[in-house]
Amino acid sequence: MRVEYINPFVESSVSVMREILGIEVKREQISLKSKAVPILDVAVIVGLVGQVEGRVLFDMKMETALKIVSKMNEEELTQFDELAKATITELGNMITGRAVTKLSEMGYRFDVTPPAIFSGHNMEISDVEIEALIVPIETSYGRVEINVALREK
Amino acid sequence: MGEKMPIGDKGDGASFRVLIIDDSVFVVKQLTQILQSEKFDVIDTANDGEQGVEKYKELHPNIDLVTLDITMPKLDGISTLERIMEFDKDAKVIIISALGKEDLVKKALITGARNYIVKPLDREKVLSRIESVLKK
Repeated sequence: MRVEYINPFVESSVSVMREILGIEVKREQISLKSKAVPILDVAVIVGLVGQVEGRVLFDMKMETALKIVSKMNEEELTQFDELAKATITELGNMITGRAVTKLSEMGYRFDVTPPAIFSGHNMEISDVEIEALIVPIETSYGRVEINVALREK
Repeated sequence: MGEKMPIGDKGDGASFRVLIIDDSVFVVKQLTQILQSEKFDVIDTANDGEQGVEKYKELHPNIDLVTLDITMPKLDGISTLERIMEFDKDAKVIIISALGKEDLVKKALITGARNYIVKPLDREKVLSRIESVLKK
């Protein structure tokens, strides 16, 4: 997979989290995974269809997710309820929207599915046909992993 | 001079009445807070397009503005807008969109939307767009 696909997602994640949450955000080393990888308690997944296809997943621990949604709502949320899910979805929309705008400026045309959320324990994701690139982002609320598996059609 | 009049104030003490059509409880909450802080009256909310059209018809003519999410389940934003405009060609509808949906926004403006707001919702931006729509 070409690294140029992942960069817009990493850059927009860093900038959106900095702007919206006002917290310290630091990008860590990229890693390449070709087999199943574990995913953390809360995962937001977005599908891409078009000239570039595949999926982008943002995952984090429940504790991190609750801190993020509490900050965005300016009130403490202790349960991952409907409001918390809608809030994390909106964060996913903002990050994806900015990344997609960058990718279309680079000349790639595609559509994006609305974000879906998975939550649970001991989950893993397997991408049989596309290798996944993972970029962890360290924040003062905890780690958020950006896991991208895309290919050019 | 006294304090500046809230944007949601019609000038006669009454408030502009707003219907929010959006499937995200987070966005509904954000918009409601912004609007209420300027004395708008959020008279109802709908979480999908079908419900939104129904509520618009029920409320008309006692409604001044609609905020409409462009991406929704059941009936999408454009179809919702078409139905509202068909029912009331003078409807004042403002589109709420995520970044990267420029084609849909253009289509909405051609269909009759008065203006649009790109998320993330910024208080000043939301209020100035709404004010410009209401003043026309």
